[in-house]
Amino acid sequence: MSAIYNNCEYISKKQVKITFDGKTYQAYEGDTIASALLRNNIRLVGRSFKYHRPRGIYTCGIEEPNALVQIISEHNEPNTRATIKRVYDGMEITSQNRWPSLRYDFGAINNILSPIFSAGFYYKTFMGPKGFWKNLYEPLIRRSAGLGKPPKNFRSKSTHQYHNTDVVIIGAGLSGLAAAKKFINTKYKVLLIEQDSYLGGVLKNSNKVKTINGLTPQEWISETEELIFNSKNITILKNTLVTTYNFTNHLIALEDKFSGKKIDLNKSELTLHKIRTSNTIIANGHIERFISFRNNDLPGVMLASSFEKYIHRYGVVPEKEPVIFTNNSSTLSLLKKLISLGCKPKAYVDYRKKDNIETEVKKILKDKEITFFSDAEIEGCDGNKKVETITIRQGKSFNKLKSSMLCVSGGYNPDIHLFTQSKGLVKWDKNILSFKPDTPFQKTITLGSTSGNYSFKKLCDEINEKLSIFKTKKVSLDINLNVPNKFSIKELWETKKKSNSNWSKSFIDLHNDVTTKDLKQAITEGFDRIEHLKRYTTNSMGTDQGKISSINSLAIVSKMLKKEISEVGTTTYRPPYAPLSFAAIAGRSTYEFYDPERKTSIHSWHLKNNAVFEDVGQWKRPWYFKASENETMHQAVQRESKMLRENAGILDGSTLGKIEIKGRDALEFMNLMYTNAFSKMKPMTSRYAMMLGEDGMIKDDGIICKISDQHFIATTTSSGAPKVLADMEEYLQTEWPHLQVYLNSITEQFSTFNISGPKTREIMMRVFPDIDFSNDAFPFMTFKNFDYKETKIRIMRASFTGELGYEIYIPPKFGLDLWEEIFSCGKEFNLIPYGTETMHLLRAEKGYIVIGQETDGTVTPIDLNYNWMIGKNKKDFIGKRSLSRPDTSREDRKQLVGLSPINKKDTIEEGQHIVELNELPKKITNPIKYLGHVSSGYHSPNLNHSIGLAMIRGGKNLLGKKFFVTATGKTRNIPVEIVNPVFIDPENKRLTS
Amino acid sequence: MILIKCPYCGERDQSEFANGGEAHVIRPKNPESLSDKDWGEYVFYRNNPKGIFYERWVHTHGCKKWFNAVRNTSTDQILKVYKVNEKRPDLSEFQNTLKSPSGEPSVGSGNFAVKK
Repeated sequence: MSAIYNNCEYISKKQVKITFDGKTYQAYEGDTIASALLRNNIRLVGRSFKYHRPRGIYTCGIEEPNALVQIISEHNEPNTRATIKRVYDGMEITSQNRWPSLRYDFGAINNILSPIFSAGFYYKTFMGPKGFWKNLYEPLIRRSAGLGKPPKNFRSKSTHQYHNTDVVIIGAGLSGLAAAKKFINTKYKVLLIEQDSYLGGVLKNSNKVKTINGLTPQEWISETEELIFNSKNITILKNTLVTTYNFTNHLIALEDKFSGKKIDLNKSELTLHKIRTSNTIIANGHIERFISFRNNDLPGVMLASSFEKYIHRYGVVPEKEPVIFTNNSSTLSLLKKLISLGCKPKAYVDYRKKDNIETEVKKILKDKEITFFSDAEIEGCDGNKKVETITIRQGKSFNKLKSSMLCVSGGYNPDIHLFTQSKGLVKWDKNILSFKPDTPFQKTITLGSTSGNYSFKKLCDEINEKLSIFKTKKVSLDINLNVPNKFSIKELWETKKKSNSNWSKSFIDLHNDVTTKDLKQAITEGFDRIEHLKRYTTNSMGTDQGKISSINSLAIVSKMLKKEISEVGTTTYRPPYAPLSFAAIAGRSTYEFYDPERKTSIHSWHLKNNAVFEDVGQWKRPWYFKASENETMHQAVQRESKMLRENAGILDGSTLGKIEIKGRDALEFMNLMYTNAFSKMKPMTSRYAMMLGEDGMIKDDGIICKISDQHFIATTTSSGAPKVLADMEEYLQTEWPHLQVYLNSITEQFSTFNISGPKTREIMMRVFPDIDFSNDAFPFMTFKNFDYKETKIRIMRASFTGELGYEIYIPPKFGLDLWEEIFSCGKEFNLIPYGTETMHLLRAEKGYIVIGQETDGTVTPIDLNYNWMIGKNKKDFIGKRSLSRPDTSREDRKQLVGLSPINKKDTIEEGQHIVELNELPKKITNPIKYLGHVSSGYHSPNLNHSIGLAMIRGGKNLLGKKFFVTATGKTRNIPVEIVNPVFIDPENKRLTS
Repeated sequence: MILIKCPYCGERDQSEFANGGEAHVIRPKNPESLSDKDWGEYVFYRNNPKGIFYERWVHTHGCKKWFNAVRNTSTDQILKVYKVNEKRPDLSEFQNTLKSPSGEPSVGSGNFAVKK
């Protein structure tokens, strides 16, 4: 009933302490969590996904479906496979998916209710009523079904590394090492990747191999590893798992930098290797599969090769007297090892007929007087949270045995995951009863058991033949075995149950709690295609992707459908091969490194003056400035807006995109790109312009400055600049390569200040005493260049607020000095800084649109009443033809209007609907007629009531009409009047005086 | 993640590029003379075949140049790249290339990863 210790070179004598669910245990350096727990006779390690059944350690590797734990000492890392995670001193581990404790789990009631949780249960049960899914079912299911809890307060430092190589060898077992040996000191650049911390694979997991080239397996591994290590062209990556095989031989592998060590939070704990290779050699072996029988999930049931691996690799014999159940020849080595350690299996159950069983097996069993059942199977096992009794069926008789462990071998599957990810074609092999690689799609070679070759003797020839495409010497492998070379197996997927009780379960997917009965039910309900069946039952959809069970389910399904397995086919194996942490994928692209933050040259001043920032694209822009600690955003915006129209305000507009357009054909190019006509425009004047898509819809706007016919500067919206530049570039390269035009992004070459308000002229005269700012000398929409101190500046008369305004462009180096100079001059005129929210309010009062607010990709300039911007006499420009399409010229398109509340105290909210009803019915039975939506809504401090801009069907002809606007949380709608969208200064007197 | 050969820079990772949809769709010289239907076809309609496809790419995080490529959308193999001003390669050049991965039929999709 207890584990014993065996000498093992991979485990050091150094003891470490770990805690599991609060209790402290002794382990050794080199142990995995699983081997440490088995060493301490812990069999129960978790609760299952759906039924909360007690589960133990089933395997000894990446294929583990059950033993998933949470590592508290590593920022709560959940769903860690106990079978591969190595321990260190002070490691803190808890079990998952149980409450209040692992032994007494409340959720286990699901097991009693299990007859109702059959295949498709979620789809059938949680259908209605409306709203129940979101508010009741989903939270409930999420709480009771699931895995670990997400990590907390953790900032990963994981990194990415790139490789370009000639050959990648995946797996450093016998085949991988032999293949790598061929490349020693050749011209090929080779990467040898091993998932474990030791090389050797099968050689260190069992004693099947006696000698290689006269050396013991360990001597051969050491010799080979040293040769490879000293060969400059080969790099070895240990603790590294290849998770993904993409197109054009692109591989992704995850390296655990702190395997068996406590994580140092200041260092990168994971490295994601992105590998581009010319050739890939897959030699990552095989995975043992289980057999379905009654209660095949009880803690104590373990795969036979895993049991064997615990002995050889970790020096733990989990149980002295296990029962061995097999349908193939591979368990002989386990039997021999147990005998050599003085252990005596309780029984040996072989499904094969006595004549087909190896004579050596029969001899050992007879000599050691071990109970032997041939042509027999396990009917099931029973026990409370562990295996206690095992029922064996031989013919018509049943035998009950007492043992706490059952080692199962259902045969081996070549590990074809990566091969199928690479789009290779697989084929059913009757000799090994599994799929094996057939035709590769890329330059992929499979070796050893991955290729379906289970014969050690044939390995040497296979390697020399398959690697003959490389210019390397032949490798020689003279292998002597402790076991017969021939692999023999008899087909068995599920054993017969004694009774058909609803509570007796034989599992086909241990991770997702899918039983063989679920498969049958799904087929009865018509899900007879394997891909449908998989999704309906969630079979092999767990994080283990059914590594030990998916072939079994295909076989069982094919039997039910009375088809060949090759006709049923496989489901698609998708990357990643095993779960990988999001932290590894993100690498260093987290927080501020995920998307760069762009700051203007005035940023430090904004910080000092209590600016609250808004993200505009990557830019940090002041949203509003807090005048006092307690000032709310609404108060600040109302204050800023009123102050500006009374005195003056200044906005940091440096974020506006600026593109320089130069060249012989600049004028022709601009005429094609924008709606406006630029030919008659005088030099040193500017114009508000729009850019459309080919579909006629507005894409961006901005002010175009014309320096000459060969030189323009276009401003764009802050977030639209990269796209506008890319679009211009695209047309120049692809449609009009004959145009001689050069584009340059100059956004960051200038700090830009927009200063506006009735007192602006006086402030400007104070700052720049030598410049004539009179209306005649400096009219609206003109610009001039000046010398200013040791630099040059450009001043343009333009405004986005509707007040008298100027825009100043200065190299950013001098930006902050000038900004402060303007403030010291503006002090006596009550100049204020203002942010984007005030800018939006002021422009709405003036009826100016904002791209992305009034427009949404379905709005034309005609919809906005901006017909004056369209150069109708131009032969062509982007989007022109679309403006006369029948749909674009419909009269009832949504058009821009202004909204004014009839009751001046009402608030018009942004995003609300415009309807004809003054009140919404209590119960809405018929759709309510919808006229449009409010695109902008503000309380105007200058008009002292709420205002709105809206897009309304046929709005142009609705001036003076009354409608209603819906309001949040109210059934009574707000009565509004349709008005001219320009609320302030419709004659543009303030702009032009 | 495929490798793409930029005709100006050489082989680079796919992440450096952006796809620009079907190639050889020329913007009409006189849009005003086109019927609504013809203009609509130019603006809104593109081919999306399973198999050989002539498409545009731009080396966004590189030389920023546009170029054309012939790609088999079924195998994701890029069969040829050429500059914008170069002649469209004839379909017959690609007759002997792989039609689909894993023996899938050239029309439709499905699970055909198993050789019968």
